[in-house]
Amino acid sequence: MFGKGLLEGLGITLKHAFEKDKTIQYPEERPYLQDRFRGCLAFDFPKCIACGLCTKACPNNVLSFETIKEEGAKKKKVQSYTIDLQYCLFCNLCVEVCPTNTLYFTHDFELSTYSRQDIKIVYHRPPELDLVVEGKEDESPGVKVELPDNSEAEAKRLKQIEAIKTVLGKNPQKSLSKILTSETDIAIMSALLSTDDKKLSKLAELLIDDRDKASKLAQAWVNKDKKDHSKEGCEQG
Amino acid sequence: MFETDQYTINIGPQHPSTHGGLHVEALMDGETVVDAIVHLGYVHRSVEKIAESRTYTQFIPYASRLDYLASHLPTLGYVQAVEKLTGVEVPERTEYIRVILAELSRIASHEVFVGSLAIDLGATTGLIYCLRDRERIMDMFEMSSGQRLITSYMRIGGISYDLPDEFFPAVKSFLDNIPRMIDEYTGLISGNEILQARCQGIGILTAETALAYGVTGPNLRASGIAYDIRKVDPYGVYSRFDFEVPIGERGDCMERLIVRIKEIEQSGRIIRQALEQMPAGEVKDKVPKVLKPEKGKEVYHRIESSKGELGFYLLSDGTEKPSRVHVRAPSFVNLMVLPLISRGCKLQDIIANIATLDPVLGESDR
Amino acid sequence: MENLILCMAHALTSWLVSLGLSPWWADLILLTLQWTTIVMIITFNVLILIWLERKVAGFMQERLGPNRLGPFGLFQTIADTLKLLTKEDIIPARADKWIFMTAPMFFIIVAVLLYAVIPMGKDMAVVDLNVGLFYFISVGSLSTICILMAGWGSNNKWSLLGAMRSVAQMISYEIPLAFSLLGVVMIAGSLNLSAIVAAQHKLWFIILQPIAFVTYFIAATAELNRGPFDMPEAEQELTAGAYTEYTGMRWALFFLAEYTNLVAVSALASTLFLGGWLGPWLPSWIWIIIKTYMVMLIFMWLKWTFPRIRMDHLMSFSWKVLIPISLINIIITGAGIQFLRGMGW
Repeated sequence: MFGKGLLEGLGITLKHAFEKDKTIQYPEERPYLQDRFRGCLAFDFPKCIACGLCTKACPNNVLSFETIKEEGAKKKKVQSYTIDLQYCLFCNLCVEVCPTNTLYFTHDFELSTYSRQDIKIVYHRPPELDLVVEGKEDESPGVKVELPDNSEAEAKRLKQIEAIKTVLGKNPQKSLSKILTSETDIAIMSALLSTDDKKLSKLAELLIDDRDKASKLAQAWVNKDKKDHSKEGCEQG
Repeated sequence: MFETDQYTINIGPQHPSTHGGLHVEALMDGETVVDAIVHLGYVHRSVEKIAESRTYTQFIPYASRLDYLASHLPTLGYVQAVEKLTGVEVPERTEYIRVILAELSRIASHEVFVGSLAIDLGATTGLIYCLRDRERIMDMFEMSSGQRLITSYMRIGGISYDLPDEFFPAVKSFLDNIPRMIDEYTGLISGNEILQARCQGIGILTAETALAYGVTGPNLRASGIAYDIRKVDPYGVYSRFDFEVPIGERGDCMERLIVRIKEIEQSGRIIRQALEQMPAGEVKDKVPKVLKPEKGKEVYHRIESSKGELGFYLLSDGTEKPSRVHVRAPSFVNLMVLPLISRGCKLQDIIANIATLDPVLGESDR
Repeated sequence: MENLILCMAHALTSWLVSLGLSPWWADLILLTLQWTTIVMIITFNVLILIWLERKVAGFMQERLGPNRLGPFGLFQTIADTLKLLTKEDIIPARADKWIFMTAPMFFIIVAVLLYAVIPMGKDMAVVDLNVGLFYFISVGSLSTICILMAGWGSNNKWSLLGAMRSVAQMISYEIPLAFSLLGVVMIAGSLNLSAIVAAQHKLWFIILQPIAFVTYFIAATAELNRGPFDMPEAEQELTAGAYTEYTGMRWALFFLAEYTNLVAVSALASTLFLGGWLGPWLPSWIWIIIKTYMVMLIFMWLKWTFPRIRMDHLMSFSWKVLIPISLINIIITGAGIQFLRGMGW
């Protein structure tokens, strides 16, 4: 019959007219946001190691930071960190690439400001970070400082050591050629490392921290081994 | 004795029914359209030029913004093109996750199509129902990637994170809801006699014209040619799924609407099969931090987007940034048949024609 | 309760006469008061109606309509009216000023004139004309001129185009409107609206004349430029039709007039088909309000469900479908009356 579709349409709208509405009263009720929702980019200052991977990963030069390097300190320290939110694409590349999980997205989506100057978010170095105990120099009783949580960095370091140990086990030629020069030395070193686990760990640690020391230590081991072998050779033959 | 003059009406860039900033200049004689000239370029964002100064990974969010209504599809096309260029392998689980997200995007895009066709022709309520159903897909995207619309979630060699646990019950309940959704759209929109009178026999695109102009996607399939890149030239793991390709006969507006509604059902089928076949495992392989394909290597990879054949051409010059990225946008090519199918129709039929060709101005202007 | 308003009117007239005025003057004052009341009723109705339309649209779309201003958003229309009053009044430079300015005024005058004959309750029509229905249809057609004035006076080719489309539509749908009502007149035997209502005291005419009701409904929707027939003034079409150049309160007057027409047409539908003020227990003037609002809700339901009908389909539907149906209805009604009279009913 002509008009059947029309009546079906009328029936559908009538049915929906008596159903509960699916909207929320916005400023009073907040929408339910999932865990991974990308609201505003935020920065957790103590975790940053100033590696610069985030600034390289960002497509739009949103992130930038200033560092200072004190004399005698091994690493640079981040002084201030700027997020220029007007150019941010909220693409998550910076969050994924950060090795220490410093950057993260909050659930704050109301990001409009009244002037363009307010859009930049600048983080300055909090003063309590500089009161961190370094080494054994500061043993005087004084202000009790809360040390920043190093467990993540520690875990990362252990992972790196394990990784180098694996590489040294699988392909010693490639990695040892960076610290030893002659082929025979490399062969002797690899034989040593395959047997002695303590030497392996020590060398792996030094390879991360100080390569010069690593090469000196490796050379010393190789020399000692040669001496031992020559003694043996003498003894044997 | 009496002569009529021709006059020009601008269906201007600012208009509720033009799907973005589309400008159509209609040359009219009385109530009949003599010619319709399409002016594009209002949404040009020079994406291809931007690509020359971004690395391959950094371009992914820009690729998502091409077809913003179904943003996993252009991301998928781009990421697969780069993987073809650099030879990076993708784990099995990731391929299946990509298929699920791509088909969900296709359903979302078709829902916007049905809703915007309804509101362009006057049935405002139809739009609201389609958007309400699309909210569930947006929630699923938010669960997985964190963003609802422009999800830059796929990476070269995999995806950013694995799907969370709450994703799977949400997908299953959405799939169970699809038949009810299709019934509602058929009852309110495509079964409505007034809409049928406005769409049947209007804007007929013959198969020869469609092939000659390079029209692809549901518009081509509505004209009777069964050409779907997922069947003809499968990419990813599409060859493992069993689904049909709906085709029409006449190539008028009604057929284009019906083909897309049927495609929603078929996408649901693919998602179900993908959920069953998906293996466990990791989702991102080890990819070198800096991707430098060999100099002079070029690749063209195409996927079946919700609008048609979306192709990415990449040319590398040995550095980490591509030398040239070109996007073959289906909406751009599809819009070129608008003058042909509008000649001889009434003015309101131009609105129906634009709506059923389903252009997205973000991708046609890039 | 039933005769509350009549008693008040009677009391007022007798009080005025007792003051020494001649009855003619008293009647004139009463008439003025009736007109003022009607204008107030119309304004109040339109305010409520705009709110109701938005609420009904919202509920059908699974959302709330306006709900911030006042309880349930009742003051939304007042806020919108105040906003429109503060808008700049633009008159195009080369527009025909007099026609441009008087078009909305005439539109609303014509719309208000329709209320003269509608019986708002038992013996409560303002003017109880013997040709009430004829008056209603004739005055209702005058609104066509007002739209043409608006389109012409704007000096804008799109306004003129929209106005001419609108005029074509309204003229085409006058005929089925009038013909569908002929069946009712034939059964009731009079054009007087009060007599038609009285003739329904056994059975409402909607049961005797269902086809006429549907035809009247569709024709009335087209007359009001509403619902599936709002091609001339929809925003998804190119221009807002005849009203493009109007701003602020003038534009609001057009829509006020359209809603006034809507109430009048619904009141007529309930008078002719749904028994007017007849009904048990409640006073007659409450019954007619309830029935009018029921009919208006059906108008809104149609508007928010259906897409728009294209211009040429609209015309062909009127001339090729509705007019033959209404003519057939007249023939069947006539035959039926003769048959039943022959049987002695």
